[in-house]
Amino acid sequence: MNNWFKSGSPWVWMSAAGVTLSLISVLGLLWLIASRGLSYFWPSEIHQFELVDEFGKASTVIGEVYDRERIPVKQLNKVKLDLKPGQETIERLLVKTGNRELVSLDFRWLLVPQVVKHSQPEELVVIERRSNGNFYGYIEEVVLDGKVVSLEQLDTLLTRVNDFQEEIRELQKVDIGAINYQLERLRLKIRKHQLDGTYTADVEQDIASQTLALNAEYAELEKNLMALRDKVARDKLVLRAMGGEKVEINFETILNVTYSNKLSFIDKIGTFFKHLLGFLFDDPREANTEGGVFPAIFGTVLMVLLMTVIVAPLGVVAAIYLHEYAGKNALTKFIRIAVINLAGVPSIVYGVFGLGFFVYMVGGSLDQLFYPETLPSPTFGTPGVLWSALTLAILTLPVVIVSTEEGLARIPASMRHGSLALGATKAETLWRIIIPIASPAIMTGIILAIARAAGEVAPLMLVGVVKMAPTLPLDGNFPFLHLDRKFMHLGFHIYDVGFQSPNVEAARPLVYATALLLVTIIVSLNMTAVSIRNRLREKYRALEH
Amino acid sequence: MDNLNIGRHISGQFNEDLENVINHVMHMGGLVEKQLSDSLKAVYENDKELAQKVLASDYKINNLEVSIDDECTRIIAKRQPAAGDLRLIMAVIKTIADLERIGDEAEKIAQVALESFDSKQQDLLMNLDNLGRAVLQLLQQTLDAFTRMDVDAAIELHKADKNIDRNYDALMRQLMTYMMEDPRSIPSVMSVIWSARAIERIGDRCQNVCEYIIYFVKGKVVRHTSPDDM
Amino acid sequence: MISVNPDLISNEQDKLDLNNLSDEQKALDIKNLNLYYGEKQALQNISMAIPKGQVTAFIGPSGCGKSTLLRCINRMNDLVDICRIDGEINLHGENIYNKHVDVAMLRRKVGMVFQRPNPFPKTIYENVVYGLRIMGENNRRVLDEACERSLRSAALWNEVKDRLHDSALGLSGGQQQRLVIARAIAIQPEVLLLDEPTSALDPISTLTIEELINDLKKQFTVVIVTHNMQQAARVSDQTAFMYMGDLIEYSDTNTLFTTPSKKKTEDYITGRYG
Repeated sequence: MNNWFKSGSPWVWMSAAGVTLSLISVLGLLWLIASRGLSYFWPSEIHQFELVDEFGKASTVIGEVYDRERIPVKQLNKVKLDLKPGQETIERLLVKTGNRELVSLDFRWLLVPQVVKHSQPEELVVIERRSNGNFYGYIEEVVLDGKVVSLEQLDTLLTRVNDFQEEIRELQKVDIGAINYQLERLRLKIRKHQLDGTYTADVEQDIASQTLALNAEYAELEKNLMALRDKVARDKLVLRAMGGEKVEINFETILNVTYSNKLSFIDKIGTFFKHLLGFLFDDPREANTEGGVFPAIFGTVLMVLLMTVIVAPLGVVAAIYLHEYAGKNALTKFIRIAVINLAGVPSIVYGVFGLGFFVYMVGGSLDQLFYPETLPSPTFGTPGVLWSALTLAILTLPVVIVSTEEGLARIPASMRHGSLALGATKAETLWRIIIPIASPAIMTGIILAIARAAGEVAPLMLVGVVKMAPTLPLDGNFPFLHLDRKFMHLGFHIYDVGFQSPNVEAARPLVYATALLLVTIIVSLNMTAVSIRNRLREKYRALEH
Repeated sequence: MDNLNIGRHISGQFNEDLENVINHVMHMGGLVEKQLSDSLKAVYENDKELAQKVLASDYKINNLEVSIDDECTRIIAKRQPAAGDLRLIMAVIKTIADLERIGDEAEKIAQVALESFDSKQQDLLMNLDNLGRAVLQLLQQTLDAFTRMDVDAAIELHKADKNIDRNYDALMRQLMTYMMEDPRSIPSVMSVIWSARAIERIGDRCQNVCEYIIYFVKGKVVRHTSPDDM
Repeated sequence: MISVNPDLISNEQDKLDLNNLSDEQKALDIKNLNLYYGEKQALQNISMAIPKGQVTAFIGPSGCGKSTLLRCINRMNDLVDICRIDGEINLHGENIYNKHVDVAMLRRKVGMVFQRPNPFPKTIYENVVYGLRIMGENNRRVLDEACERSLRSAALWNEVKDRLHDSALGLSGGQQQRLVIARAIAIQPEVLLLDEPTSALDPISTLTIEELINDLKKQFTVVIVTHNMQQAARVSDQTAFMYMGDLIEYSDTNTLFTTPSKKKTEDYITGRYG
């Protein structure tokens, strides 16, 4: 036994156990969010249950089974049930029934003993809609221009409607959006001239004519839009819901019609990817609980990139100054300690700082100096993507500084001397020799910064993230990148959907899916940076022996 | 003053190597000295047995020369001696060459002892013996100076060779007179001349060894210079 | 008949009188140089003249100040904060420690090669032309020419001419050191300082570098610091022996290694306790 301790194998086993533990946690975490998240996109079967409740009343429930659990009988003592002797628990199912126009809740619990018949009729369809959630039921008839047509035309009709919808979206977002933007600019221009006291008759006339032209254009577009809307609205679908009620659904609101129970495995895979793509590239609907998360992905990535662009030069310059130029005295030491401690400050504190300093002080001053025409409504004096990026840049600055400084310290003195001895000045040496050699360390710092920044949510809630941003920070209107705009963020999206949405049950798979997406994005940002760093390392490998 | 100063190298092995070389040179010097004194004695006492012994012993000197040479070569290859060490090795290599030649000369003298001389010619041998003693003393003193690397003694001895030369010249004149007086004695006188010549050469070689001592101690090459420049 | 060139056997090849060099013969003239690291004096009153177009070696035990003295010549000691120098080193009759001397310009005239090969992590080509680029030379033709010339002078051209644009870090230690020498001579310095250039190399590479030093003295004044006495004996024309910050003996190499005049020198070069 004693020998076994001396041989060192206990330590080997202990470290192996440590490694295993961390590996299992990482893989377990990934597996959990991946399985839960991805199942959200898998088309599930629609079930039809015939029930008889404790009062002997029969009813039909149609929907997707979301969850099943066992509960103690005691909880249900008010309900009369046929129980086997000694049975203490019964099973119950959570069924998503949709059909919000008929029932107020999307979900419903069914007690298994009350189910008398369970089937999966192939004619059942699930209809995804732009509003009011899913609808489950049987298609009765397809109405085209008030006339009933055959069911076969459903697919072509749907495609046609989707094309129209796409056109409408384009018109609304791009063309009409651009006109509105220009009109707003004109309004601001007038205000500016008024403030400057240069609002002459000439200017007035000029602006008025421009406004007129824009308004005319707008009217034209609106007319097109209305026409399209009319085209979309004329067709409808008549369905029979689980209670036997007839419901008319206008094609305008239909996104998708799926015979879930008819789908083969291949079809299911196709549907899975369709859902996945929709999740990645669509806008969210219905208070974020439906639809995609594209604005959040975009916002997250843009904010992280902006943050990187800000923090990298700042951190590198600071590290170079600290390591190369600052005297080796108590003040430098103090600054270094301060920088390291900065890394330990809780992130919400940075949020408060960002709000107070960037948003109100810097942003407020900017507004007064450059955007007086929009006041009192703020331009930069309100949370926005720029301030978020800046706040996170401050948050991650210590990481970049510390790792860059370490990189600089690792460079052998002989490199410096070699360059200096060839008649290079200190600055030339830095620029041509030191910084390139330190670049892997700088990249390491940036990787760590990205990893930290992409996962931060708390400070962002104070300085720029919103639940629903009407426009992306990047669009076709000059100056294209709108740093003053608020943005959506995946981390915040998770929090919002998971805990703030009206329908928490419905949102749970979405939370997992979004979490998986967030992890994927962070990992891929990291991997890109890691591969760049490894390439640089390879280049300077021979120096590190 | 300890001019030899071969100790105190950081490498103890180097010290040992140099000490061995010096000891072997001393040993060789002793052998040469013995050979010379034996051969002189053989001539003087007409002891043919002793002469035979001298002739038979020369190989020891030759062997020693070869082995010391070898040792020096090894030291140069392994230690790359510099300054004093280098000069010491150079001095040793040259000294043993001269010692070996002295041994050869002793052999020549011993050969003379193998010839028979009549009583009248014993006088000649007497004279030869005087010269021989002087050279033997010179050799002893030279070896002594070498042992101590005594540069002052070396300079003195270098000058002392003049006396040997003078005695040699005198002896030659005497021998010439003999030959003129009695042509029949020419063969034996010639033998004596040979040995006298050998003894004189020994003096010159001692002079060479003194020069090496001076070179080692002072780093100055005094060969082919006048004694006043030393 | 064998005819012998008398010059070959003469060991009195035009020996310079180091104490009385004419100004044209002097590459560097060090006068009363004292150097202090904080309170500690590292060099004591060094005075010596280094002749042009010859190889001068500094030898001595570790910590004797030989590298320090070498670094004084191109003011690399400026990088040490606590270092203080008085006395003068004259290059072309001008003290390099004068206030208005541009250190970068000085270092172009006095190149230096360090103990360990320190090629930059760039291509071989970029390493060689680094000094020229610093000087603002960007003409491709000039750079190409300088690169080839320097690599040839450093006896490296034939080994690397086909891979000029590969990383210099792929070369062997000996090649790297020659590359560093090529880099130093690419800017045509007058004096080349070598600080133990072979201490990190294998014996064969060492010999190559020594051979190279022998060629270099045709164009440059070479000052070399070495731990290896045999190396100093092999490559140098003059040798200076330093001990504890003092210049003990400075004379031509042949004399110093056969008949040194100071006991300390003798003890050091024969490997005796100091």
